[in-house]
Amino acid sequence: MKLIYQDLLKFLNDKPSKEDLSYKLFQLGHEHEIHGDIFDMELTPNRGDCLSLTGLARELNIFFGMSDGVEIYKDNIENLDINFENLAAEDCLKISFLDIEIQGTTSNYRPYLENYFSILGNNKTNFFTDISNYISYELGQPTHCFNRDSVNSKFTLENKETSCTFKTLLGTEINLAGKNCVFSMNDEIISLAGVMGGASTACNLDTKSALIECAYFNPESIIGKSVKYNLTSDAAHKFERGVDVAAQEKVLRRFVQIVQDHAVIRSIKMKSFSSKEHECISIPIDIVKINGILGTQLNEAQYLSYLEKLGFETNTSIKVPSYRGDIKSQNDLAEEIARVIGYNNIDSVPLKLKKIINNSEIDKASLIESFLVRNGFSEVINFPFTSIKDKCSIVIDNPLDSNRENFRTCIKDSLISNLLYNERRQKDSIKLFEISDIYKKNPDIKQKKILGLIISGRLGNDHINFSKKLDQQYLNQLLNENLDNEYFTVVEIPRIDLDTKKKDKIFYVEIPLDEIPELFFSSLDETDKKLVNFVSYISISEFPSSTRDFSFSITNLSKVNEVIDILENTSDSIIKNSFVFDFYKNEKTETVKLGYRFIFQSDFKTLSDEEINKKVNKIIAPIIQLDGVSIPGM
Amino acid sequence: MSTLDNIQPPKVIVEDGTLHPINQTKGYLLNLLEEMGFKQVHGPEIETEEFNFDMLNIKKSHPARQMHDTFYVEGKSNVLRTHTSPVQIRSMLETKPPMAFTSAGKVYRKDDDSTHLPMFHQVEGIYVDENVTFANLKDLIHQILHNLFGNDVEIRFRPSYFPFTEPSAEVDILSDSGKWLEILGCGIVNPIVLENCKIDSEKYSGLAFGLGVERIAMLKYGVNDIREFYKSNLDFLAQFK
Repeated sequence: MKLIYQDLLKFLNDKPSKEDLSYKLFQLGHEHEIHGDIFDMELTPNRGDCLSLTGLARELNIFFGMSDGVEIYKDNIENLDINFENLAAEDCLKISFLDIEIQGTTSNYRPYLENYFSILGNNKTNFFTDISNYISYELGQPTHCFNRDSVNSKFTLENKETSCTFKTLLGTEINLAGKNCVFSMNDEIISLAGVMGGASTACNLDTKSALIECAYFNPESIIGKSVKYNLTSDAAHKFERGVDVAAQEKVLRRFVQIVQDHAVIRSIKMKSFSSKEHECISIPIDIVKINGILGTQLNEAQYLSYLEKLGFETNTSIKVPSYRGDIKSQNDLAEEIARVIGYNNIDSVPLKLKKIINNSEIDKASLIESFLVRNGFSEVINFPFTSIKDKCSIVIDNPLDSNRENFRTCIKDSLISNLLYNERRQKDSIKLFEISDIYKKNPDIKQKKILGLIISGRLGNDHINFSKKLDQQYLNQLLNENLDNEYFTVVEIPRIDLDTKKKDKIFYVEIPLDEIPELFFSSLDETDKKLVNFVSYISISEFPSSTRDFSFSITNLSKVNEVIDILENTSDSIIKNSFVFDFYKNEKTETVKLGYRFIFQSDFKTLSDEEINKKVNKIIAPIIQLDGVSIPGM
Repeated sequence: MSTLDNIQPPKVIVEDGTLHPINQTKGYLLNLLEEMGFKQVHGPEIETEEFNFDMLNIKKSHPARQMHDTFYVEGKSNVLRTHTSPVQIRSMLETKPPMAFTSAGKVYRKDDDSTHLPMFHQVEGIYVDENVTFANLKDLIHQILHNLFGNDVEIRFRPSYFPFTEPSAEVDILSDSGKWLEILGCGIVNPIVLENCKIDSEKYSGLAFGLGVERIAMLKYGVNDIREFYKSNLDFLAQFK
């Protein structure tokens, strides 16, 4: 909700600066941003009563005093004879109608009305609708303006099954379906109650006679309708959050007053229908309870004084104002007091939990995680949504899209995607795992905690393992070696159906945690968990990497360590990784062959061969100058 | 013995893999709370509306229950839990006060944009005992945030609204850039929730809080884009060893 700073000041006795106002609004829990003179409020959904100038002024009364800035029409208004029946009394506790006719129309508005449109950027529609919109801004109560001439026979309000097309006053055609609270006349729906009126009964620039409807709709009856029909509706926003259950007649009198400020009124009549009288909520005065909730030492006089300034009546008990539908209990009152004092002004009181409970259960997932991480596996977390459906799949009723209609029933497909993603990013030694709850329908929903792990590529980036591949044997040795059976079943995933040109074999294991034997866990070290170290993350490059391999022949054996030292101590912003991938001692020639790989990658661009070669020459120049060190063929 | 025998091959170092940074952060928070006396409890990600909403005083009319906010499954028979609070509800029904639980794990909301994901992680805590006050809650939150962000961190409490707590608060910390950052939600457990869990709300009161794990991880590691956590990119993951 956007409001103009100067408009709010009209309702306050003191005239706080924007900064003071902002500070107090935050203290009260009303988040906002300030853009020039406009406060853009983001109110919590329980505070429908604050969605207006007067609503916020009531809140701020305790700090700045509230002035009664609203002039209402006070003269007697004739009773309206209207052919209306409320068949939805549970949904609409109170509804009032104002029948008003004016002489001529005007679009020359007084400043308070004009500013609402010009400063807040709202579009003018027609005289009556403009007033309706302004009143919602000022008082927080939506009203709807029917063109009086088009409401010429009996009409009803009903919550009923509907299946028809409805054209809104904005010209949008929507298909009503299911139960909707609607105004109907001659079997035609003329308004989607609490959300938007219809085109057939809408006011226009020439309308001189209007029927203004002002109601209290139950939030439950309105909620979700504007989203369902894709309608942007200020009225629905307010009704969903709750409006003042007892303000309808006052609002219509304010309507009359604004009309009178702008036009000559020829006639006004009003009629209210009430299905149930509003019962004021009454809560016992209990300062001990309030202090018990907050941990404060307030006295009763202070307490009651705060509440009175918030609009509560305090005699023998606390009477909740009709606009505060959110207040029902002592805890609600405690929050009111805490807001007024300021949450930050309530002193902390040390908390010592009485019952210290040691978690003695062994966390199997945690043990496996540590074991796998220690063996070079990286953990991934995947979203559970998939397009793949099997007979056990749990179906999402309202998926984000058709590719995410089902809950996954295994981890395999997610891990294959992760593997292929990393292969495309030039990773050639991949070991991933995920532990996740998996849900299946059979026929009831069953949950199992599953471990999935996948491997492919080189066994390692070192001179022993570089030329070896991750395979079935590797996984069997890692997982099954000390067990009395092959509990971990290693399967090969054929590449034929995968979108990849890589040739390395893929191996996969998936097992429910409760099927892993205790023997496996007994060999794991419970104290092996690494302490979390919150390192500073450095953005990763999205540019391709390039590899350069060098094969050094070292005949002067005293230079071997020096060569390795030089290579391992070479650093540069574009060197992302480097390692010895080959180390061979040739007994016949008494030479050492050393293979060394550099991986280059820039954070800012795709590196050209020229740039890499320049860097390479700089690295190897001091090495090949050493006595007895050469790169054959160079 | 030839001269070659004296040449030692380079050392082979098996590099560790990485525990996912979200699980590292979650584990850190759970350890911290366990040291304070909270016991970890577990529960399902697919929940009934009763436990995910009704028991937590989230009325049928609450916007969070709408199809555009919550994932419903199997013909609206269940929901993907929108928070880990239903786990605490299940545990409260099985225990008598005093009780101190943490629940952690994946939760789901129907969002998907650059700053919101349809799945994220929460760590929530609840403590129920006699005479638990809002002042106690403030102390606990200070302890948690001082541990995470240092004793000098500036902390701000703001009134907020959660149906399951009353009073409710959101807590911000002041960043180095002078901007307040929302960190967690908390409050005094709504007596309606206690009564729903067969706990005498006249005798007992409780405090509750919830942290978004991704939020904490982003701040602690300095990751700016939440989506990075879920790309499964080894270059990214390798940084969190």
